[in-house]
Amino acid sequence: MQKSYRKYAVFFILPTFIAFIIAFLVPFLFGIYLSFTKFTTVTNTQWVGWDNYVRAFTANRDFTHALGVTAAFTVVSVISVNLLAFGLALLLTRGIRGTNLFRTVFFMPNLIGGIVLGYIWQLMINGLLLRAGVDITYDPKYGFWGLVVLMNWQMIGYMMIIYIAGLQNLPGDVLEAAEIDGASPWQKLRHVTIPMVMPSITICTFLTLTNSFKLFDQNFALTAGAPMKKTAMLALDIYNTFYGRVGDEGVGQAKAVVFFLMVAAIAFVQLWTTRSREVEQ
Amino acid sequence: MKKRIVPLLAFCLALTLAGCGGSGGSSGASAGSAVAGKKEGSIYYLNFKPEVADVYQKVAAAYTEATGVELRVVTAASGTYEQTLKSEMAKSDAPTLFQINGPLGYLNWQDYCADLSDTQLYQHLNDPSLAVTSKDGVYGIPYVVEGYGILYNEAILRKYFAMTGAKAASVDEINNFEKLQEVVEDMTAKKEQLGIDGVFASTSLKPGEDWRWQTHLANIPLSYEWSRSNVDLTGDATREIAFFYSENYKKIFDLYLNNSTVDRKLLGTRQVMDSMAEFALGRCAMVQNGNWAWNDIKGVDGNTVGEEDVKFLPVYTGMDGEENQGLCIGTENFFCINAKASENDQKLAADFIYWLFSSDTGKKLVKEDLGFIAPFDTFSADEYPEDPLAREVADWMNKEGIQNIPWNFTLFPGQTFKDHFGGALLQYAQGNMEWADVVTQVVDDWKTESANRTV
Amino acid sequence: MKQKKKSWRSTLLVVFLTILAVFFLAPVFLVLMNSFKGQFYISDAPFALPDANTFVGLKNYWNGIQKVGFFSAFGYSLFITVCSVAAIVLFCAMTAWYLVRVKTRMANGLYYLFVFSMVVPFQMVMFTMSKIANLLRLDHPVGIILLYLGFGSGLSVFLYSGFIKGIPLDVEEAATIDGCRPLQTFFLVVFPILKPTAITVAILNAMWIWNDYLLPYLVIGNRYRTIPIAVQYLQGGYGSRDMGALMATLILAIIPIVVFYLACQKYIIKGVMAGAVKG
Repeated sequence: MQKSYRKYAVFFILPTFIAFIIAFLVPFLFGIYLSFTKFTTVTNTQWVGWDNYVRAFTANRDFTHALGVTAAFTVVSVISVNLLAFGLALLLTRGIRGTNLFRTVFFMPNLIGGIVLGYIWQLMINGLLLRAGVDITYDPKYGFWGLVVLMNWQMIGYMMIIYIAGLQNLPGDVLEAAEIDGASPWQKLRHVTIPMVMPSITICTFLTLTNSFKLFDQNFALTAGAPMKKTAMLALDIYNTFYGRVGDEGVGQAKAVVFFLMVAAIAFVQLWTTRSREVEQ
Repeated sequence: MKKRIVPLLAFCLALTLAGCGGSGGSSGASAGSAVAGKKEGSIYYLNFKPEVADVYQKVAAAYTEATGVELRVVTAASGTYEQTLKSEMAKSDAPTLFQINGPLGYLNWQDYCADLSDTQLYQHLNDPSLAVTSKDGVYGIPYVVEGYGILYNEAILRKYFAMTGAKAASVDEINNFEKLQEVVEDMTAKKEQLGIDGVFASTSLKPGEDWRWQTHLANIPLSYEWSRSNVDLTGDATREIAFFYSENYKKIFDLYLNNSTVDRKLLGTRQVMDSMAEFALGRCAMVQNGNWAWNDIKGVDGNTVGEEDVKFLPVYTGMDGEENQGLCIGTENFFCINAKASENDQKLAADFIYWLFSSDTGKKLVKEDLGFIAPFDTFSADEYPEDPLAREVADWMNKEGIQNIPWNFTLFPGQTFKDHFGGALLQYAQGNMEWADVVTQVVDDWKTESANRTV
Repeated sequence: MKQKKKSWRSTLLVVFLTILAVFFLAPVFLVLMNSFKGQFYISDAPFALPDANTFVGLKNYWNGIQKVGFFSAFGYSLFITVCSVAAIVLFCAMTAWYLVRVKTRMANGLYYLFVFSMVVPFQMVMFTMSKIANLLRLDHPVGIILLYLGFGSGLSVFLYSGFIKGIPLDVEEAATIDGCRPLQTFFLVVFPILKPTAITVAILNAMWIWNDYLLPYLVIGNRYRTIPIAVQYLQGGYGSRDMGALMATLILAIIPIVVFYLACQKYIIKGVMAGAVKG
């Protein structure tokens, strides 16, 4: 059977694979190469070794600062999004009236694109801050927490749906048994519900983790880094380095490689956790 | 559910086909012209001036109608011209017509600048010394002369001068910073009676919207710094500055901030257009900007400012002898033709710019829609744009005993420097940065960024 | 007694959730309200209702549509999204099926290459990809479909493969015995079975491509504007920037999403769930 398939490889694989080579493989490998060169266009490259990587960290503090902002943002978002989404999922699996309507409303922001979301919230946040006589650029804290609120608004619905799926799969008899044994609601939650929806928790944690870490559009539209790049996250900093000053493209590419390695590390941890969890089960 | 999704998909598909027809039409047209391009060619102009982005679409349509040659105009967002030009030049379909901001810009783009000494437009340049030249060649043709200063609404000032206890009786008395400050501060005290929210329009400091301060205003103290110590502007001496007159900059900047329609803590989201609207709607009496702003003022719905009431005042900063200072007049707009484009396309680009500044249709567009003061002898003295600001600039150019300030900001070391400067100004306005730190940053940044200067 | 207490509690819960829902919708309504106000009354008093002074009717919508060419932006967005999603759904299914069924070392390596591409952030390839796209003349709404197929193939191949691994071979073997060639087997037997996953793949990719900003901006942004590019254009320091038009354009950008969501809600939520569980 397999052998008879082989000659069809051209037909089955080629369309995707050609696109994959053009859109991913070549740009990726070429990108790694370019991170070791100085270039303004792709045709006039000049090998500079690790120089771009050194400059990424030492030429100014933008990159390390962006790393700090991104890390703080990711931690805050992961915790807040998951707590709120889980809470909502608990409330919306009790069979109360209007459950479907609420789910619809809470999920909707997730479908709106980051650029549009950014401007929607810019109006909202500046409107609120106007009462205090300032705007979002006054203090980097405003931009940071604005982004956190935006992220929650966008992601809660998504995560809620996944938690609901997990909660609906709970076997009812286990909870009933716990109730008969006289467990309080809190005990039921801690000792029965949470352990049983652990897979959903892992999924949601990693989804929020990677999404927060790679955030670009929302950051770009809401603050664009103002004031003075203090609210710029990694993806935005890379973009600014690339398309800012002529001559810094190599540094931008080097930052992108470092960024990629960090994202890959997160993904690896995810894979490892999922694997070990599956083994336990 | 299935029932619902089928018509929806059908609807989407129909829309797509419709969209496809539309987009297919236009991409088909451009693809078609790309093929035909071998024969007839086309022009791709990368425009620097965002305030006339819409006008250029009109120009393109008029040119294609007149000559049948395809003209495509793309506009870079404000503060992104260098970066857009860089990425567009690297493309296979690069701009054939672009612009540089002066000799420093030429150094960056010399490989791409064709010699324009044989073009018709150059033959008509009023003052050939204004062109960007190198050795025997001409590489950039200035196409517009512009001026900036403090715009004021004379109707509001008249109202003020008529009040008892006014600090001046007419605008003519305001010819130095002390007087300006006195008048402005008194007007602020009486703003309710004058019916304004503040004397100056908001100081737009949103990133990308801060060029009136980090570029135009900064030009004044730096021009004084260079002219008073006789610095050779073509040499290496401009790689470092002392920002000697930074206190003068602070004086006028503080005056703008403290007598404005908008609180100084709220400036980080304000854009130039907001300021111009405030001025057009009569909510303020003054705003720093140039004659190109007429399009913006005119375009505001419900604008109350009369055409005859918009006038210019020089930007006074408290320098000795500034009574004779005029507006800042010059250009940072030089046409260049891409030397790497095909001969035919280069010729088409040269034909277009000549058409724009010599044909009747072109001149009408320049005069009425673009509002350019064109430095070519194809325009007679009575063919200046009709708009009041352009006429004001022309008047100031010819005033006796007045020393106008040249546009030396073409020597500023790049967009990164300007962006940092703008960021620091915002922090200063919000009270989050000391002025002394702003000065240190400007001086240090100037040096670092000049080190990146290619030549 | 207990019944009563319970219903009292659930009423309280409904009230709480309603308040929360209102908070969720508030930003959108704020934009909607401001889209009817004159452009200079927005930043200064965003929470003020439009009044006789500030109400401008549909003028902002008209301005927004004209300034950014909204309908052509909508057309490009729709064209690019629908065609790219169709290409991804079909070609990635074929690739995934082939890679799962033909267990050569090559196929295996290729599979891992696809999976690997999932963890690479766009910033890593944005510069080189847009250069290559330009070099190969893919910088138009048709060419960009190929880029989406390539960059989106990782997740899609991965999702399909997960599903295909669970399909028993019997059906396909039976088809082969009946004289079906691989192509026929795939289109007549396998593809219909893949439908649930195809929906998931379609939904996830449509959400991504419709809202994507950076890729189309870098590749085709100077010539063709999709909706996110059009929205950004209004903010990006052009002379035509206008707060009222921005508000109107934001609302126009949201309307198709809401319509699509309400029409296909079940599929979307199912698709998202399935995608998450496997991803």
